[in-house]
Amino acid sequence: MRRIACFLPVPLLALSALVLFFFAAETSPGPIAPVRIGVLAPLSGPFAAGGSAFTQAVTLAVEQANAEGGVLGRPVELLVADTQGRVESARSEALRLTSREKVFALVGAYLSEETVGVIEVAAASRSVLIVPVAATDEITDHVRRAYDRYRYVFRVGYSIPQWAEMMAEFLGRQGVSRYAFVGTGIRWNRELAGELRRALVPKRIAPVYEAFYSPRNPAFEPVAVAVMAKRPEILVLGDPGGSSAEFVKRVREGGATFPILSVGGTLGDARIAATLPLSAPLYVQAASWKGTSEAATRYAEAFERRYGYMPVGYSDTLPYDAAMLLLSAIRAAGRTDSDAVVKALENGTFPGIAGTYRFDASHQAVWGTPELHGTVIRWEPGGARIVSPASPGGGNPAGAEPRAP
Amino acid sequence: MLPFAQVILDGLFTGSTYALMAAGLALILGVVKVVNLSHGAFFSLGAYVAYVLSAKGVSNPAAAVLLACVIAFAFGVFLGKSFINPVRSHPFSVAVGSLGFAILFEQAAQMLWGPHPVSIGSGPPWGELSGVVVRRWGAVSLLASAGILGGLALFLSSRWGLPLKLISEEEEIAGSVGIDVEKIRYLTFGFASATAAAAGALLAPATSITPTMGRVPLILSLIVVIASGMENVLAIFLLAVGLGLLSNISAYLLAPQWSYVSLLTVISLVLLLRPAGLSATDPGRDY
Repeated sequence: MRRIACFLPVPLLALSALVLFFFAAETSPGPIAPVRIGVLAPLSGPFAAGGSAFTQAVTLAVEQANAEGGVLGRPVELLVADTQGRVESARSEALRLTSREKVFALVGAYLSEETVGVIEVAAASRSVLIVPVAATDEITDHVRRAYDRYRYVFRVGYSIPQWAEMMAEFLGRQGVSRYAFVGTGIRWNRELAGELRRALVPKRIAPVYEAFYSPRNPAFEPVAVAVMAKRPEILVLGDPGGSSAEFVKRVREGGATFPILSVGGTLGDARIAATLPLSAPLYVQAASWKGTSEAATRYAEAFERRYGYMPVGYSDTLPYDAAMLLLSAIRAAGRTDSDAVVKALENGTFPGIAGTYRFDASHQAVWGTPELHGTVIRWEPGGARIVSPASPGGGNPAGAEPRAP
Repeated sequence: MLPFAQVILDGLFTGSTYALMAAGLALILGVVKVVNLSHGAFFSLGAYVAYVLSAKGVSNPAAAVLLACVIAFAFGVFLGKSFINPVRSHPFSVAVGSLGFAILFEQAAQMLWGPHPVSIGSGPPWGELSGVVVRRWGAVSLLASAGILGGLALFLSSRWGLPLKLISEEEEIAGSVGIDVEKIRYLTFGFASATAAAAGALLAPATSITPTMGRVPLILSLIVVIASGMENVLAIFLLAVGLGLLSNISAYLLAPQWSYVSLLTVISLVLLLRPAGLSATDPGRDY
């Protein structure tokens, strides 16, 4: 009995400590839980350049949001995962972010193939997924076919048909009738070539050459020679990666004088453009560009201040808009509840750098409208000039350019 | 413009870029007797050296080649002495280790210069011959590969190259006659790394420079060396040029995707008929 009495204070003390701990936790104001957002982008491997710009832009968006007080009074925390440009890595990282890191929403992935893998994870975990750049139709097809399961998926970037329509509009304004399409042999590029062909039929513009080079052995020279032999009036270059610069060098050193229209990416980088021969027009498509609007200029300047180089207007701008749009939707929903945010995204309009976003029934942002349209710039020795839409500070109001001889 | 003539000339140039890379790789395979998967990283190193010099206003290709060679030789000797030589009797360890070095270099390059591609102005072509453009990088590559491979052939046939030939053929005898086999191995590794870096520095203006740019040339040059055999320098050059021509002609006449397929088909046939390589006296088939 004496022994029991001797040990009695120990559980009593433990109990008191437990009560105090819970009481203290209940009454003292603890740190505010952040809104966690997962970013899926390739930070290593062959797509690291695009993935790096992607992550930088989302980071900038979140830094700006946090500087303005966060979202719903809570800070925003970013968790970045490296997909390595591989479907399996993208899927497993998405799973880790949603299940272990408990992120509220995902922004990504980068490649179409990766994103198709990630939407299954988002659907299973009921996490909002904002897709900034992956363009394949398969992403929004899922939402269209099985809305209940995939309603959490939204695409901010342009779909392949929208992309083709915007390109077709530009080519139509150039007054050309024959074009060539060359690009990397990856999935979205082949889909883009097909959609562009269809979109140009009503404008009576036909392809004279189409080729897709392999990243393993690109064989740039024979492709450049074949393009030149077909004498197109313009060359559409479907390659957002580093090899696009190499291909432009090959075409120009061969003496080609036809204009080139790039889908954007590497050729939107001023540092790369400065090393390319500009003996004939080099046009680059982008979601937006410094000078297309006040918001675009503010963003480009903030990006340049933060990272020391000008954004390319695509693989950075769209992820920035994706993050901003997600945060706006959370604010509109008033709570971090996936279904409420989905409703907010479905019913709202969201101003971004590239324009004002709204989503259609398949959760695809509606591009190609006066509110949201792409941009085309032309590189000149002094820098970039916006040719479509007409730039406020000059440029041709019709966006038409004189044709190269 | 004469399209087919242009394709032939470009094929010759493309083949000479394979040869340029294959020269050093053949030397490593022949003397050190290891498959070096870090060779592409030295190519990238050379290209980045050219880029850094160009960004600092030094656009002389000779300066880029010289600096790239010095840096790559030092790295190559270090790698050869500290890693390749001690583990060279374990081929899988060498392959994995050298691949690890290549990936390490890619990560380092990404941290130093960023993941974004960088580029150097390529300048105008050298000239035009009856409607056929002589691309500057192509002419440089052809001359450099002929120079390096020719120099290598001369060196190996001279008395200075005798230790290398002896190590390549009978390394035990080489050791027994007082040749410092280990030293020659790591010096060879350093020299071969320097040739890869020289190739990178020379071809940098023609390409876009990225941390992973060495992967494609590594695979293509490895194919050339294995299929030609590493004994005959002329065979390496001729096979490289032949594959360059095949790659370009099939891409031009069929489609770009066929260039790689046709190249690998021919190589598979060569290896099936002559597993020891084209230049080997004995076909080397097991049955």
